[in-house]
Amino acid sequence: MDLAIETIDLTKKYGSLVAVNRLNLRVIKGTIHGFLGPNGAGKTTTIKILVGLLKPDGGRAIVLGEEVHGDNPRARLKIGYMPELPKFPRHLKGWELLDIYGQMYGMPLQERRARIKRLMEVVGLKGRENDLIGEYSKGMQQRLGIAQALLSEPELVILDEPSLGLDPVGMVEVREMIREIAKDGVTIFLSSHLLSEVEQVCTHISIIHRGICLAEGPLKDIISKISGTAILEVEVAETPDKIVEAVKRLPFVSNIHVEGSKVMIETNADGDVRPQISRAIIETGGTIIYMNVKMRSLEEAFMRLIMKSG
Amino acid sequence: MDKPWKREPKLIGQLWAVVRYELLWNIRKKKFIGVLIVAFAITTLNLTLPVILRRTYNMPIEANPDYVISNSGMGGLMLFLFALVTVMNSISGEFEGGTIVPLLTKPVSRTLILIGKIVAAFITIFAAYLLLYAYMIVGGTLIYGSQNNLNLTPLCILGDLLSTFVWVSIILALGSLTKNTILTSVIAIMVFLAMNIGSSIISVFTESAWMLHYLPGNGAAGYIKVVGQPMVYAGSISTGTDNITKMIIQYCLHPSVNVTYVKVEWRGGTPQGGLSSLLKELYSEPLSLVLFRAISVAAAYIIALITLAWYVFKRTQILE
Repeated sequence: MDLAIETIDLTKKYGSLVAVNRLNLRVIKGTIHGFLGPNGAGKTTTIKILVGLLKPDGGRAIVLGEEVHGDNPRARLKIGYMPELPKFPRHLKGWELLDIYGQMYGMPLQERRARIKRLMEVVGLKGRENDLIGEYSKGMQQRLGIAQALLSEPELVILDEPSLGLDPVGMVEVREMIREIAKDGVTIFLSSHLLSEVEQVCTHISIIHRGICLAEGPLKDIISKISGTAILEVEVAETPDKIVEAVKRLPFVSNIHVEGSKVMIETNADGDVRPQISRAIIETGGTIIYMNVKMRSLEEAFMRLIMKSG
Repeated sequence: MDKPWKREPKLIGQLWAVVRYELLWNIRKKKFIGVLIVAFAITTLNLTLPVILRRTYNMPIEANPDYVISNSGMGGLMLFLFALVTVMNSISGEFEGGTIVPLLTKPVSRTLILIGKIVAAFITIFAAYLLLYAYMIVGGTLIYGSQNNLNLTPLCILGDLLSTFVWVSIILALGSLTKNTILTSVIAIMVFLAMNIGSSIISVFTESAWMLHYLPGNGAAGYIKVVGQPMVYAGSISTGTDNITKMIIQYCLHPSVNVTYVKVEWRGGTPQGGLSSLLKELYSEPLSLVLFRAISVAAAYIIALITLAWYVFKRTQILE
């Protein structure tokens, strides 16, 4: 399994505070990996180590096969990074900034110019590229932040709260952008407080709390592992008493409760149990009007995990 | 990693990117533009005031073929101001504004970033001095006729640059240590004032002028003397790192002269024989040695302080 990011017992301390505590993180290449945790969990510290802004006190961090340890420009060559609420020199024009950054990546002039033109369109800054950054709004600086992260066509894009400061339309655009980039096989490591955003775009997640990784893996697996499996919502034509009795007898059913003509069935099975439930209902003479699988949300799983870890 | 530039970006291209980044900042700084305007205003005043005064009193304007050479060498305050406005926030401003984060996450080493900033400061100040000297030469020639020793002008610019870079390195080191522009500026101004006021006191009233040879700034005051003669043209001279250009000019014009250091010795009562009778000669040394020492001291400060700035910048972690 090819890894874009791997940390082994990564540790970072600020005095007596352990911000990152023997963190083991594995981000698979080509995935959109959400990096979640409450405030102060160690997300930004971990990201800063990955991009060379901080030096770890222990353990290792490997990004796209390059060992990261402080100032290693080679490791940053393949990474595009957008910091949380990015700040850019106010005296530069939008295109000047991207042109200079492109030059730092070693991009040839023609390629730089073409890429900048394209990116300005993509992030919605077309027509404002000749304005000084000092005249940009917060949202525009955020968009510029995304553009500079994508400038060098990196193999790994690290986005720290990319939607912060954006209006709802901007947020949707960012989500679309992330999906588009990922289509080209680019790995995206996304730190976000917006769990709904993560749920909509990420294929994999890591949840950290107090510098420790609490869960990691494919998004759906994590949700089901933490929250138990799905809830089946079944609406029947008859009084559901008999049906409840029959369904309760099924071995994978953990809980049932009734809301009028609706029966909410909690299961702990791994696979799809709708056929067995349908059969059990029909065998009691019941008529199914409607059946829906209600997945637990990431928010629910996240809260459960954080509360559990204390 | 399909594209060749992704494998091995050219170092020179990356350096030029940092230089561009910094140059665009320098030339758009209001403070820098302000100091440049002041420098041009002072040069204009220096060029035209004698003419205006002579016109006012109906005196003829005399040709002065030594106008440019005798006015070459920026004053200590101008050197300091150019250094201050160019690099006062080169490092600290990046930390304060948060712009250091995207900059340091690009595939450019911190060493290269610092070198780029220094190169940009050099180009900026060099261009400013080039413009000022060109203005002085053109103005001097138009007003005072053809000028002597203009071949020394490149050396004058180099001397002024060396003097300025002592202050540049002090300010860069302070910026790297404090990461605060106001603190950097205040400390730099205090150092400048201490060096200038302190050196005058030490030089005039004590016998410890020797220590000023090793400090940045104005240095010790002395007289240029040819052995056997009381004094030569251009009389007094200061020997510090701020006065390298003036020493270069004197050395080129009078290579074998000595610099004699003096102190004021107050004996009470009215001095007999004028103010010069209060001066006590301390010791003399060849101007060549004084110049060589000033250049060496300036170079030592520049190397040591830029190394300090580099060391601190390289080790700094970005917490915010």
